[in-house]
Amino acid sequence: MPSLQLNKLTKQFAEHTALHEVSLTVRDGEIFTLLGPSGCGKSTTLWSIAGLHRPDSGSIAFGDRVVFDHGHVNIEPEHRNCGVVFQSYAIWPHLSVAANVGYPLKLRKTPKAERDRRVREVLELVELGRHADRYPHELSGGQQQRVALARALAHPPDLLLLDEPFSNLDAKLRDRSRQWLKTLQSQVGVTTVFVTHDQDEALSVSDRVAVMDQGKVRQVGTPTEIYEHPADLFVADFVGTANILAATVVEADGAHAVLRVDGVGEPLKVPHTDRRLGPVRICIRPENIEIQRGGGDVRRPHHTLTAKVDNQAYLGDHYRYTIRIGGTPVIVTTTRPAATGELTVSLPPDDIRVFHEEADSNEENHHAPVH
Amino acid sequence: MSTAQLRPPPAHTPPSPVKRPRRRWLSTNASHYILWALALLVIVGSVIPVVAAAVWSTPLYESGGHLTWDNFDALLTDRDWWTAVTNSILFAALNTAGSLLVGVTCALFLTRTDVPGRRVLTTFLLVPIALPGLVLIIGWAAMWTPAGFASSWLEANTVLSMPVDLYSIPGMAMVAMSVASPTVFLLCRGTLLSIDPSLEDAARTSGASPLRSLLSVSLPLMRPAITNAALLVFALSMEVLGLPLILGFSNKISLISTYLYDHWVNESQQGLVSAGAVFLLITVSALLVLRNRLVGDTARFTTTTGKPTGVRVLKLGPARWFTAAAIAFFLLVFVAVPLAGVFLAAFTSILSPFISPWSVLTFSNFSAVFENPLYTDSIVNSLLIATVGGALTTLAIAVLSVIAHRSRFRFRGSLQQGMLWPRMMPALVTGMAFFWSFALLDRSGAIRASLWGIGIAFAVRSLALGYSAFYPALAGIGADLDNAARTSGATWWTAMRTVVLRLVAPAMGASFVLLFVAMLNDAEPAVFLVTDETPVLGLTMLQLAATSIGGTVAALGVIQMVITLVVLGAGRALLGVRPRA
Repeated sequence: MPSLQLNKLTKQFAEHTALHEVSLTVRDGEIFTLLGPSGCGKSTTLWSIAGLHRPDSGSIAFGDRVVFDHGHVNIEPEHRNCGVVFQSYAIWPHLSVAANVGYPLKLRKTPKAERDRRVREVLELVELGRHADRYPHELSGGQQQRVALARALAHPPDLLLLDEPFSNLDAKLRDRSRQWLKTLQSQVGVTTVFVTHDQDEALSVSDRVAVMDQGKVRQVGTPTEIYEHPADLFVADFVGTANILAATVVEADGAHAVLRVDGVGEPLKVPHTDRRLGPVRICIRPENIEIQRGGGDVRRPHHTLTAKVDNQAYLGDHYRYTIRIGGTPVIVTTTRPAATGELTVSLPPDDIRVFHEEADSNEENHHAPVH
Repeated sequence: MSTAQLRPPPAHTPPSPVKRPRRRWLSTNASHYILWALALLVIVGSVIPVVAAAVWSTPLYESGGHLTWDNFDALLTDRDWWTAVTNSILFAALNTAGSLLVGVTCALFLTRTDVPGRRVLTTFLLVPIALPGLVLIIGWAAMWTPAGFASSWLEANTVLSMPVDLYSIPGMAMVAMSVASPTVFLLCRGTLLSIDPSLEDAARTSGASPLRSLLSVSLPLMRPAITNAALLVFALSMEVLGLPLILGFSNKISLISTYLYDHWVNESQQGLVSAGAVFLLITVSALLVLRNRLVGDTARFTTTTGKPTGVRVLKLGPARWFTAAAIAFFLLVFVAVPLAGVFLAAFTSILSPFISPWSVLTFSNFSAVFENPLYTDSIVNSLLIATVGGALTTLAIAVLSVIAHRSRFRFRGSLQQGMLWPRMMPALVTGMAFFWSFALLDRSGAIRASLWGIGIAFAVRSLALGYSAFYPALAGIGADLDNAARTSGATWWTAMRTVVLRLVAPAMGASFVLLFVAMLNDAEPAVFLVTDETPVLGLTMLQLAATSIGGTVAALGVIQMVITLVVLGAGRALLGVRPRA
């Protein structure tokens, strides 16, 4: 299985730039996810790989084979040997399950006996062996989705491309399908590019994730890196829930920084490699904020503050509280209920990420404190 | 994360001996260019010779000649031409006004009120759209002309009489209304049904009475549909040939179409007629372009809009009986009596109010038809054109439509426009276009001597009709379905053949039915193309009816009507074909 290289892929639709010099390397055999909000360019990237969209410039290579190079090469989709699972599944309603799966083999003039064997094999792989003679309308949504996957794997492809394949399934089935896909992919070992806007999905199935926004790649990393060490505020905010607060760096030595956070009395010393001083945004995950329990007014640990609870919700497996720190709403989650009315919390310095304002982008405006 | 953790493909899925799909000798793109060029040459290119013939001093099939404005000069200084233009405008205006009045009223009453017998009245109102155009005119001529059966019967037996002389412009407009009104009705009903009922509910809750909310909310919302219908009816009235030829010609009332027909057939002034055709083409195209500008062409592609269950029905009280009676009376005079006239004329030896039709019943008109080789040839030729031509045209529409809508072909937009272009062309101009094209490109005359000549003209004429029946189904097939085929390894043509065209097969069937009926009954384009060997049913009937309304033409009308209704009925039962405006 080859790796996949995208180099400076650019695509412009009228006034709107869908892809802005996107460069990515997908390693041999991994599940690589393109994650981002709708309109971020992830689907355009996927269709460019499949050959269904033509980028304006840049290049795409499957291993050594260049399939697109601006002005020189543009291999038609039928010659790229990809397996694609569409969001709508795109199962052909006039063909039986076996005929759908056998279609790519028929086009490749695979002998009938060999074709039948391969169709059976792939259908067994997706656990649909008994449904070979059914027609698509006789199948459930989950089964149709597996037919689409079987068809994409039949030839077999050099590259498996999945466009939000689980978005039409209900929550439970979606969760099961993710586990199943991950197991199946590791069995088959095919290099896979997966597109989704669902961060849970991205974190649970991927080997690596690329977070995209407005046609640009914001960060590439493993799910852990993306969640725990987001590269910027956009990634921090898009993946998971992030509390974003205004703060000022008053001291920085390249290993740690001392911060003053609006609404928090004492300065905080956090790990930080930048030496710049001045206004910053800090980010902390709701589950990382520690709730000080023990009632009454026992000895408070360092860095604590007490705030009124604006809002609280019970979500089954956890509790969620909204408090205000320096006027900014902050979400705190815990698995055990805390006292109502007021909450005493502390911000663990190791879980705080610091982001300097970037002069050239406006994204931070979304995160401005709500007053 | 390292890639070392990932396993290679397991042993139980050995790589199959996969062959990559072959590459074709002719690239998809090249085939698109060839088909595009061919299509535009036939559809649009055929007009060029008409313009050339209009500005050339000799007919194009003769050598020599030079560029000249003489033809336009002769046309524009001919007083008869200006009379014809005035008559045409008057006829079109009267027809448009009358059809709008009837069509909009019927649309409001038959879709939004509790008029009794709405379904039956609606069906009856739509009958003229399904029928061949000539049949109803023959019926009118048999019944409502001053010497016609119904007019004479009224005068002899009652105090009533037919107030309008059919051999006049208002009379011709009245006959035209019987076909134009249901067209207006269909266009307006579609809009009425698609209007969100909550808009009227909002007016009701603001204090408006049901009638007031209908008139103050829904009627204004119909304005685009009414504009659309008005321009369409006006444009079609400018080019119609059959009606003025049958009713106006004998009384020396000439419209643009009959002026052109007369000068071509009887006076052989081909340059002059070409100049007139250019004028007609520009006028009709301008009207239809204006219409597209004002309302867009999208409405044509809505098959069934709205939810009939959501329609609020206005209670008219006792007035509903009066309304139903008024509509029924209109349909009796405009549809039922003329239809009865066709049958009476076909099955009697003489049709007169002074002799009981029952005493002169006969099949002799039909035996006359079947004994005359001109008529049998016409029927056979038309059936051939309708069957073979309809099938080939359906195929052509399907292929051009997938190029126009499912490919990345650079000029696909022009192909979409090109397929709708014949709608802009008056039928006479289409016929003349092919006459001159064949004269230029086929000097041997082989194409014109065969049915292919008329067949191609009829096909181009009906292209837009078939396309508009076919396109909604094509648009309903998700693009993912052909993309899935492409990424599976199918070339563009294979993806179209194995997936898209399979899925739209029922729509191709529906398109064939409509094309069959249209090509069976078409007449006007054949005026310039017909030879002694290639008579077609529509034109034979038209020429016969222009001289006399006898039993023979009525018998032909009955045959034409029966074939049409059988095919449409089968299409409706099997494929859900609906009549189209």
